[in-house]
Amino acid sequence: MKAVTRQTFIAGLAVTAFSLASGAALAQGPAKPGSPAPAFSIVDVDGRTQKLSDYAGKTVILEWTNHDCPYVRKHYNSATMQTLQKDMAKEGIVWLSVISSPAGEQGHVDAAKAKELTKSRDAAPATILLDPKSVMARAYGAQTTPHMYIIDPKGTLAYAGAIDDKPSASASSLAGARSYVRQAVAEMKAGKPVSEPATKAYGCAVKYAPVS
Amino acid sequence: MSTLDMPARNGFSLLKRAALALALLTPATAWAAESTAVTSPRVVATLLSSRDAVAPGERFHLALAHKITAGWHTYWRNPGDSGEPTKIDWQLPEGATAGPIQWPAPKAIAFEPLVNFGFDGTVLLPVEISVPAEAKPGERFAITAKATWLVCEKICIPEEGVLSLDLPIAAEPVIDSAAQARIARTLAGLPQEAPFRAKLTANGPDKMTLAIPELPAGISELRYFPLSDTLIEHAAAQQVEGGTLTLARSSAFRIAEPSVEGVITYSQGGTKRALSLSADVAPDLLAQASAPPAPPPVVTLPTLPAPPAEDLTIWVALAFAFAGGLILNLMPCVLPVLFIKALGFAQAAQASRSEVRVHGLLFLAGVVGTFMVLAGLAIALGAGWGFQLQSPPLVILLAVLMSLIGFNLLGAFEIGGKVQGLGDGLASRGGPVGAFMTGALAVVVATPCTAPFMGAAMGYALTQPPAAALSIFLALALGFALPVVALSFAPGLQRLLPKPGPWMVVLKQGFAFPMFATAIWLVWVATMQTGANGALAALIAILVAGFAVWLLGVTRRRGAALRVVAAGLAALFVTTTAAFVIESAVPPKQAPASAGASDVWSPERVAELQAQGKPVFVNFTAAWCITCLANERVALSRQDVKDAFAALGVTYLKADWTNRNAAIAAALAEHGRAGVPLYLVYPGSKGAQAEVLPQLLTVDIIVRAAERAAGREVQTARNP
Repeated sequence: MKAVTRQTFIAGLAVTAFSLASGAALAQGPAKPGSPAPAFSIVDVDGRTQKLSDYAGKTVILEWTNHDCPYVRKHYNSATMQTLQKDMAKEGIVWLSVISSPAGEQGHVDAAKAKELTKSRDAAPATILLDPKSVMARAYGAQTTPHMYIIDPKGTLAYAGAIDDKPSASASSLAGARSYVRQAVAEMKAGKPVSEPATKAYGCAVKYAPVS
Repeated sequence: MSTLDMPARNGFSLLKRAALALALLTPATAWAAESTAVTSPRVVATLLSSRDAVAPGERFHLALAHKITAGWHTYWRNPGDSGEPTKIDWQLPEGATAGPIQWPAPKAIAFEPLVNFGFDGTVLLPVEISVPAEAKPGERFAITAKATWLVCEKICIPEEGVLSLDLPIAAEPVIDSAAQARIARTLAGLPQEAPFRAKLTANGPDKMTLAIPELPAGISELRYFPLSDTLIEHAAAQQVEGGTLTLARSSAFRIAEPSVEGVITYSQGGTKRALSLSADVAPDLLAQASAPPAPPPVVTLPTLPAPPAEDLTIWVALAFAFAGGLILNLMPCVLPVLFIKALGFAQAAQASRSEVRVHGLLFLAGVVGTFMVLAGLAIALGAGWGFQLQSPPLVILLAVLMSLIGFNLLGAFEIGGKVQGLGDGLASRGGPVGAFMTGALAVVVATPCTAPFMGAAMGYALTQPPAAALSIFLALALGFALPVVALSFAPGLQRLLPKPGPWMVVLKQGFAFPMFATAIWLVWVATMQTGANGALAALIAILVAGFAVWLLGVTRRRGAALRVVAAGLAALFVTTTAAFVIESAVPPKQAPASAGASDVWSPERVAELQAQGKPVFVNFTAAWCITCLANERVALSRQDVKDAFAALGVTYLKADWTNRNAAIAAALAEHGRAGVPLYLVYPGSKGAQAEVLPQLLTVDIIVRAAERAAGREVQTARNP
């Protein structure tokens, strides 16, 4: 990774071309609350193409995940994540889990395994987006698993950051943790501005696919 | 799968393993002032001391040493885009203190497109320890560091180690020169306070400029590491022009103080240098950073009907109480009483239907009245359900009552009309008072039993305002009284009862044995409460009560003088015995020494264990609580649970509520319970709240809860 090899140069060209072509916020740094959420068009575990525009008029939550990451395991083993997913579904919110680990990296799963994980963990996302080329992760600047994003019904990013205020992998940290996601959703529901629209996400690094 | 036995990564060759094994052996033998190592395939952790012996009043350095396998890294105080800093909890002798970790300068470890701030290779995290002046030479200075760290390659493993040193205290310190030299090298390399302040100013909406005055000329590789993780975009390139750095603002940009702290690293003539740097924040930038960045437009979510609350509501509690009361009729101590009452109806039905109805209502009044008295006492005293069984004399009285009912059923004596006030009504001859007393008696004999649904309803009731609580008890009473009352009002049901005949005598006698069994259990409870004297008192009380009743029985048809003498004797015996029972059946002042591995609960003990980082399982139980004993038998005492507790380092504590105990009652109330059982699992961190487990336990429920509290999984026979 020292010198600019031919390969990375070509990769760089490709990225530039792609971002120009799509006109999206790709490679422009992380998505920021208050600005339009980066568009995406990505295949889910059922083979359907999911686009952000499909959910215009609805609130969407994105959850970057990696089932083997200890921080993700903290939230799933305690059922905190599943409870949050179910509560958000009751609010009429669309919950999309995103898996950006490329093949060969921790957290990478195929559609069948992703579904099996949902079943065995009693999780309740609307669906799971498979992003093995980490394109969506780059568009959003996802750093950690979990990394949470809330997109309001107009397509504006309302929240980006941590799931709660206790950056720890220890189950004991769940006690007394303040859920930034619940807080933001409650404020949105009450018609108030989100008081903490951006926080520092914590967790394992998102395993990015090399740009190719 | 367990993260703890993750196989070594591919590059970890046999040779390296051998080298690591050697490295492991060396410190333990080479330096006395180094703790035993905690090792994983990723990190060898030790606690290093610059002293072989410490002196009173001195300050010296310890260091947490991490020898990190190539390719892996641990984290600085600001971990960068992901990760978590190493933490140390100290346990020191009284009066000793530990300073903060003195962080070496971090490295930027890139995982495109992210970056982490941390350490690789070998890193020492020094901490200054002060020894109290009162420390006595000749005694020991025991130090325990509970360290947690996250070690990542691409994948991350949370690790922890408890590292201990036990140093002698001497009049003069004994310096461990090798350890001292290593720690001194680290201390010398720590970022030194810069003799100047930098300035942080806004540079467009997304960037900032950090102007550093007086940097030496000819430096390269300048990089800024803020202590806060919400200041800069960690992975963004830092453009350097002379002494100014252009930094991208964090996506979670936030500055709390007008001064921001950080570290700069640079290379000067091939030498790495680090300075700790304070920067003044320009007022306009501070204003932007303390206000939330660009609040998004307000959008109201489409509202949906609120989901039903998951907690017990008053209606569910009432339903539970009613169902619980109904089921209570089937409990072994209650069923005989009620069955015989029902047979009484069957006999009386032939006489007068209206009289049967009146008796049914009187029975109802007896049940409701007794329940209300008990509920009123439980609420007023804040004592909780089952409190009456905390009094040994009351337990013994119940045991006597059960025995007498048993003897009566066996036909050893008969209770005549004149003593029916004692709780007669078992057979048909009870008058109106008898019917009322049967209701009361049924409730009293039912109190040791808790039917399904009842626990939840009772627990809910006693956390509610008195009116709601009383209505729940009323529902319980109505459920309990329903079968008998229904029987008294429905001639159709009465006809379903078998015709009275000689078989009733056999059944009646048979029913004596559940009563004796209950009596035995109550004697055992009294024994648990008071020891052997309690057992003796209970058995003597039964003997005397039996004798008194027999005396009255045999003199019943004799002359008045004899009856008066017998009654006098019986009263004398009973009062003397009652006095003896009250005097001797006293709970011991000190709680009896706990048996086996279970430790005695106290709030302080839980706090102490949590401070040590140990998860805690607390079993609130009582000898008179059948549900508790069942849970202990089917789940808590199982080897799987013991193994899991051992593997996860969970401490098992027992809070025994067999006798009255204000601290336990307070702990129950704090968790919304009025009685036992209550099972709590505390995570091993200071002040962390407990998880409340269900009232019916399985091995799986306990093990999973222990895993959550410990933050890791364990392998058991059920979870291979």
